[in-house]
Amino acid sequence: MHSASSIKQKFLKKWIMGLQLCNSSKKNMTIMERRKAIKLSADLALASVRNCTTRWSRALVASASQNDDNQALLQHIIGSDAAKHKKASIDVVANSTTSVAKKIASKKILKRSWGIRRVRKLSNVALKDPPYSIAKRLVKKRTQLLKNLVPGGESMDAISLIEETLDYMVWLRAQVDVMRSLARASERLDGK
Amino acid sequence: MEGSSTPLTQNSSTFGIGIHPNDQLPNCFLATGWDDSLDQGDPFESALSSMVSSPVAPHAGEGEAGMIRELIGRLGSICDSGQASPGSYNHSTTNTPCYNTPLNSPPKLSLSMADQLAHGGFPPPGSHFPGHPSFVPVMADPGFAERAARLSCFGPRNVNAANLNGGLGLNASEFLGKQANKLDSGRFCRVPSSQSLRANVGSQICAQGNERSFLQPGVSTSTPENGEMGESREGSSISEQVTHGEMRANGQIDVNSRKRKAILKAKARNPAVSPQSAKDSEVPMENEEPITKKIKPAETDGDEKDATKGNQKQSKENSKTAEPQKDYIHVRARRGQATDSHSLAERVRREKISLKMKALQDLVPNCNKVTGKAMMLDEIINYVQSLQRQVELLSMKLSTLNPTVDFSLEAFLSKDILHPQGPLPNSLYPVDSSGSMLYAYQPPQGLMPMPSVVSSNMDAQFPVNFLNSGIHRDASLNLPLCVDNYGEASAPAPALWEDDLQSVVQMGLGQNEPQRVEQGSLATSQMKVEL
Repeated sequence: MHSASSIKQKFLKKWIMGLQLCNSSKKNMTIMERRKAIKLSADLALASVRNCTTRWSRALVASASQNDDNQALLQHIIGSDAAKHKKASIDVVANSTTSVAKKIASKKILKRSWGIRRVRKLSNVALKDPPYSIAKRLVKKRTQLLKNLVPGGESMDAISLIEETLDYMVWLRAQVDVMRSLARASERLDGK
Repeated sequence: MEGSSTPLTQNSSTFGIGIHPNDQLPNCFLATGWDDSLDQGDPFESALSSMVSSPVAPHAGEGEAGMIRELIGRLGSICDSGQASPGSYNHSTTNTPCYNTPLNSPPKLSLSMADQLAHGGFPPPGSHFPGHPSFVPVMADPGFAERAARLSCFGPRNVNAANLNGGLGLNASEFLGKQANKLDSGRFCRVPSSQSLRANVGSQICAQGNERSFLQPGVSTSTPENGEMGESREGSSISEQVTHGEMRANGQIDVNSRKRKAILKAKARNPAVSPQSAKDSEVPMENEEPITKKIKPAETDGDEKDATKGNQKQSKENSKTAEPQKDYIHVRARRGQATDSHSLAERVRREKISLKMKALQDLVPNCNKVTGKAMMLDEIINYVQSLQRQVELLSMKLSTLNPTVDFSLEAFLSKDILHPQGPLPNSLYPVDSSGSMLYAYQPPQGLMPMPSVVSSNMDAQFPVNFLNSGIHRDASLNLPLCVDNYGEASAPAPALWEDDLQSVVQMGLGQNEPQRVEQGSLATSQMKVEL
C-alpha cells in the first residue's frame, strides 16, 4: 500500500496537471469558474489516484463526464483509462440522476441533525412511538443523508456505504491536506 | 520421519505412527481399509511435518510451557465445575483413543482403550471412506452433524462437518464454541473483535500450547485436564490434515481462543476493534471453502449406517454433557433465539456493519464518546460534510489567489513532472518549519528574490519539499492513507480545522481583491501560529 506522502504527491501532480490544462484552455476565467475548475480537477485527481477502484471515485468521474466541457480535463487527468472508467461509471450516472428528489428531502434532515434540536425532537416523538422504531428511523434518515454525501452512495447498500464512506473520508482528508498546503504556500507567496 | 523421536514430528505424522503401535490396539481397530487410507495419508504427513516443525521447533521454553500448563489446568477446573460428572470427560477422551494412541504411552492408553471398549460403540476407523483416515470416523457420525446443526443451524452442512473434524474429542458444547469460533473467523460473527484479536495475539501462545500438549503425552487420560489437551491435540492435528496445513493456523486459533475465552471470561467482549485483524480472519474463511467441498463427497460416500449404530451412544452422552456446559459459553447464549438462516444472515450483516462503524468511529474525531448508531452517523455525516466544505472553501481560496502565483506554481511543478529527479535528502532543508518552505519554494518568474541557499536543482526539489512540509506539519494528524488497513486509521482529532476554516472563510469570502493581499499576509501569520 502506498504511503501517505506518496499518495499526496501523486494527487498533487495530477491536480496540477488538471489545473494547467484549465489554465491553458481558458484564459480570463471568472473567480467562480476558476473555483469550479479547481474543485473539479481536484476531485478528478483524487479519483484517478484512487484508480477508480471504489464506487465513490467512479461516481466522481461519472459526474464529471456528464458535462461535455469536462471531457478534455477528464482525458487529461485520468488518461488512457478514461474510456474504461467511463464505462464503469455509467451505472453510477444512471443511479445518481434518479436521486435528485431525495436530496431535497435530506437537506431538511441535515438541518435537523445539527445540534441539540435533534434531542428535543426525539423526546417529542418518543410519546407515540416505541423507542426502537425511533432509533431505526433516525438511523435510516442518517444513512440516507450519508448516501447523498458520499459520491455514488445512492446505489449502495448499508455495508458498502459504510465501507465507501471510510475510504472516501480518508482520501478526502488527504485531498484537504494537499489543497491546504498548496493554498498556504501560494498564500505565503502572495503575502510577500 | 516416522521414527523420529521428537514429539512434534510424532504429532505431525500421527497416522504414520498410528500404525506402529498396532500391537497395542485391539483388533477391532485394525480394519482392512486402514492400510489403504494410510497410503493416502502419506503425502500429507510429509507436508505436515514440514509445516509443523517450522513454527514450533526450537523454542520449547520451560517457563512458557509451564504457563500453558497452568492455563490448561485452570481451564480444566473451570470446565470441571460446570460439568455434571468427570465421567463425561472420560468419555470424551475415549472417543479419540485411536488418535491419541500414538502419542500416549501404552499403559495409559490401555486405560482409555478399556473405556472405549466398555462403551463399545466406536466404529472401526478408516475402512469405510476413501478420504483421509483421520476424520473419517467423525464424518461418519451423523449424530455429531445433527447436533451441530441443532445447536447452531448454519446453512451449509459442510461447515459443520469441517468443524466437527477439528474437534473430534470435544463434547457438544465445546463443539458449539468451536463452531462459533470458526464462524467468527469466517464471517466476523459473534465476537468478531475479541476473537480476531485473540487470534492474532494468541497464535504464538497457541503454538506453544500445542507444543506443550505434544510434549506431555503421558498425562493420565482420565483427568479433565488431559481431556482438554487431547482436544487441542486433536483439533490441531486433524485440522492440519484436513487442510493440508493451511487450516492449521485456524484450528490452533480456535482451540486457543477457546482456552483464552474460558480464562478471560470476565472481559469477554473486547471493545477495541481492529479491522486489520478482521481482515486476517477473512483469510481462513477462504481457505475453508474448498476444504469443506472436499470433505463433502467423503461424507456422502461413507457407510453411514454403520457409524450410526456405533455412535448413538456417544451422541447421547455428548448431548448430556452439553447441557451443564451451556453457561460456559455465556456470550453465545443469545444465539439460541433465532437460528434460522435468515436471521442468522441478518445478524452477520449487522455485525459487519457495526464492525465497519467502529472503524469509522476510530477515523472520525470526537466520535469515541458517542454511543448509538444514529449519533455516530451524525458525527460521520458532519465530518464528511466538513471535509467537503473544506474542499470547496480551499478551491475558492485558491481561485481567489493571484492567478500568476497560482499558475506559476503549476509551471514550476510541471518541471518536476516532466523531468523527475530523485528527491534530495531532506536534511538539506529543515522541512518541517514553515520558513523552509519559503526557501524551498522559488517561483521562476522572480516574484521572490532568489535566496542564495537555493541551488539550481531547486526546481525539481520543490514539490517534494512542498509536500513534505505539508506532511510534516500534519504529522500530528497522522493521516492513515492506507485505506485497506482500517485498523491503523485511528487519527487524533484535528480540532484546529475549525479555526483554520474560519480563517479560510475570512480569506476567501470576506475580502475583495485589493484588500486581500494584506489580509493574505495576515492570514499567513495566523496560520504560522497554528503551525
